[in-house]
Amino acid sequence: MLKLSKHEKIIVYALLLIYSVMIIVPFFMMVMNSFKTMRGIFLKPFSMPSQFVFQNYVDAWNKAQIGTAYMNSALIASTSVIGIIILSSMLAYAISRYQFPFRRQLFVYTLLGLALPARLAIIPIYIFMRNLNLINTRIGLIIIYVSLGIPFSMFLLKIFIDAVPIEIEESARIDGANPWKIFWNIIIPLIKPGIAVVSIINFVNIWNDFFFPLIFINSKSKATVTLSVMMFQGEYISSWNLLFAGLTLAMAPMLILFLIFSKQFIGGMTQGAIK
Amino acid sequence: MINAKKSRDRYYLLIFILPGLILYTMFVIYPFIASLLLSFYKWPGVGPKIFIGLGHYKELFFGAFRNDVLNALIHNIYFFTVTSILELGLGFFIAIMLASNIKRASLFKTIVYIPNMIPMILVGFLWGLFLNPQVGLVNQILKTIGLGSLARPWLGDATLAFPTIILVNVWRNLGFYVLILLASILNIPNELMEAAYIDGASPWNVIWKIIFPLSVPTFRTLLILMFIWSFNVFDIVYALEGAQAGPFRTTDVLGTLFYRTAFGGLGSGNTGMGLGATLSVFIFLIIMPVSILYVHIVEKGEK
Repeated sequence: MLKLSKHEKIIVYALLLIYSVMIIVPFFMMVMNSFKTMRGIFLKPFSMPSQFVFQNYVDAWNKAQIGTAYMNSALIASTSVIGIIILSSMLAYAISRYQFPFRRQLFVYTLLGLALPARLAIIPIYIFMRNLNLINTRIGLIIIYVSLGIPFSMFLLKIFIDAVPIEIEESARIDGANPWKIFWNIIIPLIKPGIAVVSIINFVNIWNDFFFPLIFINSKSKATVTLSVMMFQGEYISSWNLLFAGLTLAMAPMLILFLIFSKQFIGGMTQGAIK
Repeated sequence: MINAKKSRDRYYLLIFILPGLILYTMFVIYPFIASLLLSFYKWPGVGPKIFIGLGHYKELFFGAFRNDVLNALIHNIYFFTVTSILELGLGFFIAIMLASNIKRASLFKTIVYIPNMIPMILVGFLWGLFLNPQVGLVNQILKTIGLGSLARPWLGDATLAFPTIILVNVWRNLGFYVLILLASILNIPNELMEAAYIDGASPWNVIWKIIFPLSVPTFRTLLILMFIWSFNVFDIVYALEGAQAGPFRTTDVLGTLFYRTAFGGLGSGNTGMGLGATLSVFIFLIIMPVSILYVHIVEKGEK
């Protein structure tokens, strides 16, 4: 730990406070202005709303179809996360525990996905999806997210599986339990912390993604939160009161989750980013 | 290690491996190969593909398309250079402050990370409103504190637009780099610093003689990732300047150029999936050496 004198601490507090203000003020302004009339936003941008116009939220909710967007994003993100966990943990288990030809090559092959920006390969993915009739479907997005989530999740889960002593499952093997049961009943419960980290990271990334919905989804009824706001922004570009309310609604779920579980989020995101 | 020699073990091995491997190969690996193949064909997205060999590559390196690519490429390099200096420099500085013996460090950690939880596209839309030249908050604040002469059409000015985009990007991403660097600083054995203090070292000395050298591997990994991500920039430019990357393409990056070329070439004159695929191969070739280095580091670190 870096030991600072009282003097130095005051400077550090001041700098951190300035930075914190720079982060919080834009959010604060967004929320304040989301309760004002258009006139209020343009005439008195910095003051508190003279009266709180809750109608902005009603209008934004209905016009941007935020409720549908929440449902779509939640459905797509959670289904994808489940798929990622199942496929990646099975793959990680095989690579971690089994001795077989090309084991290392398979590991490196899967790691390649860490360094391949999927967006670059979007044209063939798009054509592929079109041939499978999966354009403008949620399942299409889920398939892509699951595929893209495998490399990183496999890598992280393998670290957790490697740490489980092999003796634990050896006795079960001698008792004749089949590998499938050993995996689900012994390994999976022991790597729950790893599964939590992988789930958080993937969920946030998928919830926040914009590029793939932009390419694959073209109807409001299937749009995710990010895409809905984009469509809404295009239609109501001059109704700032609605735009501020819509942005607040779009950001709210993730912000609230983060403020409640900030420790878990920060732990997960930093643990996952660099291993 | 379980030796998969028995047929029952082999059977389960395949069950564990195949579902993930097939999906990954189909939707992550195969599309890269398909992009390469497609780059040799002229194809507007429907109808027959016409084989033109290296025609698109000729167009990319020597034809009219070259200027667009060069313009975007320069912006990507500019973006990488400035964001890596700002995000790693400021990030390290803030991480050091958070690693010191101050109180409430965990509260600051939470605040610092907030913008990272918001999708880049929404951050872009929000700042787009704040940066509006007439009624945006940024110019209003400047006018209120008597600096009205500094008010600018931030996103409409050809020289200011791209730096502004970079700053919004830094505002959103800085917290991530702070926390990664902080985690690496907190991993440094405390005895090292204690010993330095006993020898009478100042905080400044501790930072540059102990913390910084021991953070170099983290910096290296972050630089690699930033390089790869920099060539993937799209959302923030799209949110603030649209797919046309205005004003006059002064904010165009390879991501937006690629998007227009492949999917919505309105006004670009060079449309088509084949040319788009060629551009993606080109971008991939730039990233590839760094990608290989990254996979190597990850695999070695894991053992």
